[in-house]
Amino acid sequence: MKRLLPWVLSIAAALLFLAPLLWMLRASFSPETQIFQPGFAGGIFHGSWTLQNYADAWRRAALGSAMLNSLLQVAGIVSVGLLINTLAAYAFARLEFPGRELLFGVVVVLIILPVEVIAVPLFFTARDLGLTAGYGPAMAGLIAPFLAKAFNIYFLRQHFLTLPIELEEAAVIDGAGAWQQFWNVALPSIRPALATVVVLDLLTHWGDFLWPLMISTREETRTVQISLANLFTQPPIQWGAILACAVMATLPVLALFRWLQRYIVITDSRTGIK
Amino acid sequence: MWLPYSHHVPAAFLPRSGGAITGILLIALVHLSGCDRPTPTSARVVRVWCHQGQEAENHAMRDIAAAFNSAYAAEGVRAEIVFFPDFQYTEKIAIAAAARDLPDTFDLDGPLVARLVDAGVLQAIDRWFTAAEQADFLPSILEQGTINGHLFALGSFDSAMVLYYDRAMLAQAGVTPPPNDSGWTWGEFIDACRRLKAAGLEPVAMHLDESADEWYTYAFSPIIWSGGGDLIAPDQRRVQGVLASQQNVRSLDAWQAVFREKYASTDPVDPNPFDHDKVAMDWSGHWMARPHLAHKGEKLGAMPLPGFGTNPSAPCGSWCWGMARTARDPEAAALWLKWVTDSRNGVEPIVRANGAVPARRSAFAAFPEYERPPYNLFKRQLETNAHPRPQTPGYAALTRGFAAALRDIAHGAEVPTRLQMTEKEIQAVIDRRPASTTIAEAPR
Amino acid sequence: MTAWKKSYARAAPWFLLPALILLSLFVVWPLVRASLWSFTNADLLNPAQKQWVGAGNYGGLLADAQFRQAFGNTALFALLVVPIQVTLAFVLALWVNRPEPAWRWLRVVFFVPTVVSMPVLAVLWTILYQPAQRTEMGLINVALTTVGLPTRAWLHDPHWALPALAFMSLWQGVGLQMMIFLAGLQGVPAELHEASRIDGANAFQRVVHVIIPALRNTIVFVVTVTTILAFRLFVQPYLMTHGGPANRTRSLIQSIYETTFLGQELGRACAAAILFLAWVGLLTLLQRYFSREDRA
Repeated sequence: MKRLLPWVLSIAAALLFLAPLLWMLRASFSPETQIFQPGFAGGIFHGSWTLQNYADAWRRAALGSAMLNSLLQVAGIVSVGLLINTLAAYAFARLEFPGRELLFGVVVVLIILPVEVIAVPLFFTARDLGLTAGYGPAMAGLIAPFLAKAFNIYFLRQHFLTLPIELEEAAVIDGAGAWQQFWNVALPSIRPALATVVVLDLLTHWGDFLWPLMISTREETRTVQISLANLFTQPPIQWGAILACAVMATLPVLALFRWLQRYIVITDSRTGIK
Repeated sequence: MWLPYSHHVPAAFLPRSGGAITGILLIALVHLSGCDRPTPTSARVVRVWCHQGQEAENHAMRDIAAAFNSAYAAEGVRAEIVFFPDFQYTEKIAIAAAARDLPDTFDLDGPLVARLVDAGVLQAIDRWFTAAEQADFLPSILEQGTINGHLFALGSFDSAMVLYYDRAMLAQAGVTPPPNDSGWTWGEFIDACRRLKAAGLEPVAMHLDESADEWYTYAFSPIIWSGGGDLIAPDQRRVQGVLASQQNVRSLDAWQAVFREKYASTDPVDPNPFDHDKVAMDWSGHWMARPHLAHKGEKLGAMPLPGFGTNPSAPCGSWCWGMARTARDPEAAALWLKWVTDSRNGVEPIVRANGAVPARRSAFAAFPEYERPPYNLFKRQLETNAHPRPQTPGYAALTRGFAAALRDIAHGAEVPTRLQMTEKEIQAVIDRRPASTTIAEAPR
Repeated sequence: MTAWKKSYARAAPWFLLPALILLSLFVVWPLVRASLWSFTNADLLNPAQKQWVGAGNYGGLLADAQFRQAFGNTALFALLVVPIQVTLAFVLALWVNRPEPAWRWLRVVFFVPTVVSMPVLAVLWTILYQPAQRTEMGLINVALTTVGLPTRAWLHDPHWALPALAFMSLWQGVGLQMMIFLAGLQGVPAELHEASRIDGANAFQRVVHVIIPALRNTIVFVVTVTTILAFRLFVQPYLMTHGGPANRTRSLIQSIYETTFLGQELGRACAAAILFLAWVGLLTLLQRYFSREDRA
């Protein structure tokens, strides 16, 4: 019995913890009149199922293009950003040049800068670069400001620093230049860190709200989150459709996360500087 | 977000996902390059932005744009229309103006004209409309778009708010609606609510589920006005002492009672309970006329909004069209403006869709049904007691503060303190803005 | 072996240039611009016509009751979220730190809300908090009525709106922190556990005297990051309460956003942003002060 207790408690805690999300799933398949029924039985076990909410949400929020925009944004940031940040991180870790420590110090200071502080002047910068008008430019505007990230550079540099020097010395003997060192030796060795960065950026930017709110104003440049917010406020308010939209807004990142999850190994924690 | 990492890298190697990433980037490249082709230089494109509105309105606007394009195909003028959700519209226009991404023409809510003119975003459109044409418009429309003697915006319809009711439900509760042309006093309204509630019916829907701040200011300013108060002083700058006046406190206290007594829901779930036969009366506007008529038929009645004392009020003012100062081709843009405000091509289709009051007298001929309720009530109100919202550059702050106060008051906040807090808040924002040189004092 | 390092040094600019250009363009330059604008009274719709006002915006903000309230709201939010979330995450990490693979599913369960984006959750929880009207109510009130407690109009109650937002934010983020603590726990060497057990310490004493000190840096780090994230509050009040009721949930960032796009006061908004940055900087310095650097 005593061995069952932790299990029972855990299952109860898990159900309670996930209740809001489970309800969201159930309600998204419920007709409008059943969504706010009092009593658990009324709300969950009322037996009516409908796909109408999903159809309404897809149409009204133009989710097809919204999904594409969000996916493009995240894919762009994650892939191009990874290259840019790993290059810089490697330079700070392994390439010696004058002023390296000073420059890195400046980068470290930038880590604490939240995007909200610079969002408004960033907007003007994007405008000056022509990134606010038109579909292509607006998508670039959603991606470009987030490609180079001080935190990612710091984090990746930490990992590069932990690589055993013998690997690189061996490559030098084989005649490798800086690029080969980077691409063939260092980068493959920090795959878990790469996966971690990818996941963090994915989570952060899929849920981006303030910046897309400012920059993707037109219908065709809207991301999933903005489309959801619009559906939430544009009359007629259809609660079922809103919930269906919320579910659909979550599925891609859940799927991506599930796929990437096994590649992340979170191990011990010491963030000292070696 | 950090994930602390150890010095010892575990030997967990993964397959490279380079292929997938390249694939995504390629798709992106194709997608991005395929869109936004520059239009052939022979075409004169008018970029038009329109608020999204109700679905019927939306379809009508698309049809109007399509008709414009075929009508002017020979001259090579084309309108490209883009829709925006209403609730963030002020912010969107502000962002667009800041981004220099404003279209050539766009529609905006009447009260915002003042601020945009003040900021130099709109250009005057007097020269495109002859005096005769201007005279065809209702005075309220002209007034809405005129700042300091110049015309900056013209609407194709004006709005109306009434109290719809279901005759059958009222009869069931033993409530007699007022005779033909008159409305109820506030006391009579409360009395009716009480009887409806006693008969087991939900008396009235006030649509407090609306997200847009503007709903609150628009729908409930008549309460302020009929009570003898105002939102802002005639100099369009002073709110302090005006918004929290004794009359306003009394009026809003009475309004709060409607919610306190549970005559109206403070957090409705259904956006249209009247058509679902859940409430007996609907505090709503012209946009619900068509759906209500379709649903209730003969049972539908409409009366002016209840007021205090002898001067009941109705709001007016609605979306109107303006031209950006940065319009690249003002002549082409003017063609659009004239089209969308034209009796036959612009006014008629949109009014047919949204049940509003046509902005032009010549358009009334197309609407014989406007001699009957509820439309004749809309028209009459505009001619008699319609009261426009303040034309002040600080309108955004005013409506935001007032709407927030109304939300809280409906949920039980103490009226005088809440209004005083709002007053100070709005006044602080207005005071920080230098006095406008283009806005004249309000005529009323 | 320094010869190859020196030859690599020539490659350095190529490695660094993309990141440095992007950072300068999209981080440093906007920061400089924000600082410059903060000393003017620039209008959003007409930024070219601005006048120098020196420290006027800063003084105005610090004296403005609205701004101070936004800061106070956000600080209260942080005060509600951080201690509870960190403690809960720590306890959960201890709870799920069992070697049997079956426990991994529980970790996933707690982590799921983190993966769901904040706008989605803001919309969902607005619906969950729906007050009781005749026969309709949101799930939270349904749960309360089931156990016999009174219902409440959570997001409309001046005293409960901010705690309601805090509760939901807490629920969302606890999973990620739990994972971080879990990683930390798994890094505590077994010998330390053994030693304290031999000394006769029970589980609770072990936690307090062995585990917490061993995880000190992690805890400080998590507390700082969570606090900073809490101060960046925007989506929840923007979508759920519009800053009300009675301005009790208007957050600092929301205030900056409204100043920018509704008040259209660019200069003042930039000054507010710089003040926010100063605050975040202060919090970060505190973190460094309280962390002991491991000179391994």
